[in-house]
Amino acid sequence: MCTFLGKRTLQTIPLLFVISAVVFLLIHAAPGGPLAIYLSNPNVRPEDIERLRRALGLDRPLWQQYWSWLAAFTRGDWGYSFSDGRLVASRILERVPASLELVGTSILVALALTLPVGIVAGVQRGRWFDRITTSAAVAGISLPAFWFGLLLQIVFASALGWLPSSGRTSPGMALSGAGTMGGVTDHVRHLLLPVTVLGVVQAAAWSRYLRASMIETLAQPFVLAAHARGLPMRDVVMRHALRHAIGSVLAIVMVDAALLVSGAVMTESVFAWPGLGSLFTEALARRDYSVLMALLMLTSTAIVVFNVAADALHAIVDPRIAR
Amino acid sequence: MCVLLAVAAMVSMTCGRRSAGVPPSNDLLIIGYDREPDTLNRFSTHILEDIQSCISEGLTTTDEQMQVVPLLAAEVPTLQNGGVQIRADGGMDVTWKLRPGVTWHDGTPLTSADVKFTVDAINGPNYNPESTDGFDRIRSVDTPDPLTAIVHYREVYAPFDIQFIRGVLPKHVLDGRDIDHAQDYNRNPLGTGPYRLAEWRAGEYILLERVPHYWRGDEYPRIRRLLFKFIANTNTRINQLANGEVHLVALVPWDKYGDIAGLRSILVHKTPGNAYEHVTLNERQFPPFADVRVRRALLHALDRERYTKTILDGLAPVAHGPIQPASWAYTDHVTRYRFDPVRARLLLEEAGWTLGANGIRQRDGRPLAFTLITQAGYAIRENVAQAIERQLRDVGVDVRVELHDGTAISAIWFEGRFDAMLHWWQMPSDPELTTFFAADRTPPAGRNINYFKDDELTRVLYASDRTVDRAERLRLLHRAQAMVADAVPELPLYTVTRLDAVPKTLQHFKGNPTNTGVFWNVHEWDIR
Repeated sequence: MCTFLGKRTLQTIPLLFVISAVVFLLIHAAPGGPLAIYLSNPNVRPEDIERLRRALGLDRPLWQQYWSWLAAFTRGDWGYSFSDGRLVASRILERVPASLELVGTSILVALALTLPVGIVAGVQRGRWFDRITTSAAVAGISLPAFWFGLLLQIVFASALGWLPSSGRTSPGMALSGAGTMGGVTDHVRHLLLPVTVLGVVQAAAWSRYLRASMIETLAQPFVLAAHARGLPMRDVVMRHALRHAIGSVLAIVMVDAALLVSGAVMTESVFAWPGLGSLFTEALARRDYSVLMALLMLTSTAIVVFNVAADALHAIVDPRIAR
Repeated sequence: MCVLLAVAAMVSMTCGRRSAGVPPSNDLLIIGYDREPDTLNRFSTHILEDIQSCISEGLTTTDEQMQVVPLLAAEVPTLQNGGVQIRADGGMDVTWKLRPGVTWHDGTPLTSADVKFTVDAINGPNYNPESTDGFDRIRSVDTPDPLTAIVHYREVYAPFDIQFIRGVLPKHVLDGRDIDHAQDYNRNPLGTGPYRLAEWRAGEYILLERVPHYWRGDEYPRIRRLLFKFIANTNTRINQLANGEVHLVALVPWDKYGDIAGLRSILVHKTPGNAYEHVTLNERQFPPFADVRVRRALLHALDRERYTKTILDGLAPVAHGPIQPASWAYTDHVTRYRFDPVRARLLLEEAGWTLGANGIRQRDGRPLAFTLITQAGYAIRENVAQAIERQLRDVGVDVRVELHDGTAISAIWFEGRFDAMLHWWQMPSDPELTTFFAADRTPPAGRNINYFKDDELTRVLYASDRTVDRAERLRLLHRAQAMVADAVPELPLYTVTRLDAVPKTLQHFKGNPTNTGVFWNVHEWDIR
């Protein structure tokens, strides 16, 4: 097991190196650059543009820019943001709690929906529960996050006035000096709508995977054997079939979770959630290369790490994989 | 999905809109803001300075009529009051008298040493402000007494009166420091304005609170706290305005006007703008634009009155040139081009462009066909682009519309890699036209992206920049506007009216057509 994990981890290093080079090239190939934003201001003169270009190091050849970025990045120095001059690490760190809160809660909600729905739909294949959840899942997968988010805002914030339409806290509440409970309640109220969007969309996809995996597993000889030995249905499903079926689904959940950590870009934008997704949107619009590179490398690392973790999980569930 | 839509529609209809927030009051006004500022240092920021201008004040500002008025200065220097003196060597000296009794928020007096420090820092090697425009023409600053700063320019500089519109830097805080990375100041600047920073939650909001003793008197500002919520998504911002979660949205996109015009608690304040939407014709990239008959024909072919009445909901008047009626330098004594497709066809025929079998004009076997680029994501602009495409097709000109994102389009036009572009210029409060039309100000030296060359116009424009005599400058700028209208280097479409959604209970909101922004008189705002 340790050899397996060690080998998988070592393989990730050249992969991340290649990813960093490709991402760097792609970002710089996109039209415009960090200085494009200044061009539309007539008071910013050509001399100013040239001075800012030098100050940001954009006048150097691309390979030099990449090399100095890579050397600094591997030392843990992520540099300064091109847009506000602050440390990139600080800008990212201040957004992490909001992202983890949103994504963590969404994954829990999605899993809470996925497990019962996927299992029951797999066991009761073709029956009314399966048909209803299949239709619901297709709708859930098809819903664009921004559209679903706006719809929820219109109903629950604008029309009913039950929930705040966006943000992470009510500034009014924070300023009023409400107690801890008031603060927690306010926080939960802000979480409800974005978590519903992310949770429902993820659960729709994951429950389909679990259903398919359950159907496949339930047809396996060991499940038929368990039935033949007279085990109760509940034990057959929960102890034998689910353990086998859940492995591949967990791998998908891990990879999706890695993507979510990097920022639920659309959902954060619609709900003005101050996480990594909205930071990515801002950095992309400004072509803030240093922030973009750091975020994309974090995402890539998260995906690679979660893939390795998923492999490890899969290997624990099914030890043959590690052999 | 249909079920969801039906439920949403039913709930909306049956419930109407309910307020989810607190009403605006003199205790708290919540502003829905489309982006988080990069920095609160006014000299470094690249975006509108709404939040910054509540904290840091300039020596002057521009009012709702685009007039330059004194703020931290006791008066605006002029030739008449002796504040401006032209030197025999062709340079000029501007004497700024500071308003007595003004202190920074930490109690330190504001002095002429701060003015001198600001000039030295901006011109020095250790700071990278957004723009050094004008500062680079200053040779030195003398400070004969704490309230007097004499600024010595190497040459006559017409917009000297807005040189310090972004304020001054506090010497006692920033002297000897790396200002680019002085985050204590850049994130929480020391100012002289009616507000100071109370809290900045990254990605969420900035809260400003009134200072205890503002120099205008303890009764100002009337509103205790201003809260700027960052809501990048336009639909969400407008939803929050409708719900009462935010009270004020500045610069409402025009396509959202219909959504907010009927809100009971909201007044949509319309300010005749200083920006104008137009089609830039790049003569270098598409040589047929170099023929004035073609340019005039294109303008005759566009029914601009109809655009403003239909697509623009009557929100914007037709523009006839680069200086708008809000400016003191505007003149309407210029050639106007009415919608006249017959005249357009005649002019094109005259220029040698004859109608081909496919309905597209051609000359020497080459079609009169070009690409019109514009920024994606602006519904109204996309509609106008389509209308232009259709109307030019009617006179035999083939136009293909291409959409690009905002950052990409800036790079495209700066490099001159386009035929024509639909966009606007937010003109500076000073009516300088040189950078847009002088023959030697094509990129990278300026913003003449029409690549238009007219030596006489260039001479007039430079002359208008090098006089501080308002009457003479007015005469030269009127002449320049008439020349631009005759030559049609670009196709002016309409004046951009600024829309600001404010609470009906807000008093003394005046708006502002310039980059100064609407918060220039925030100290007066009062909610009743």
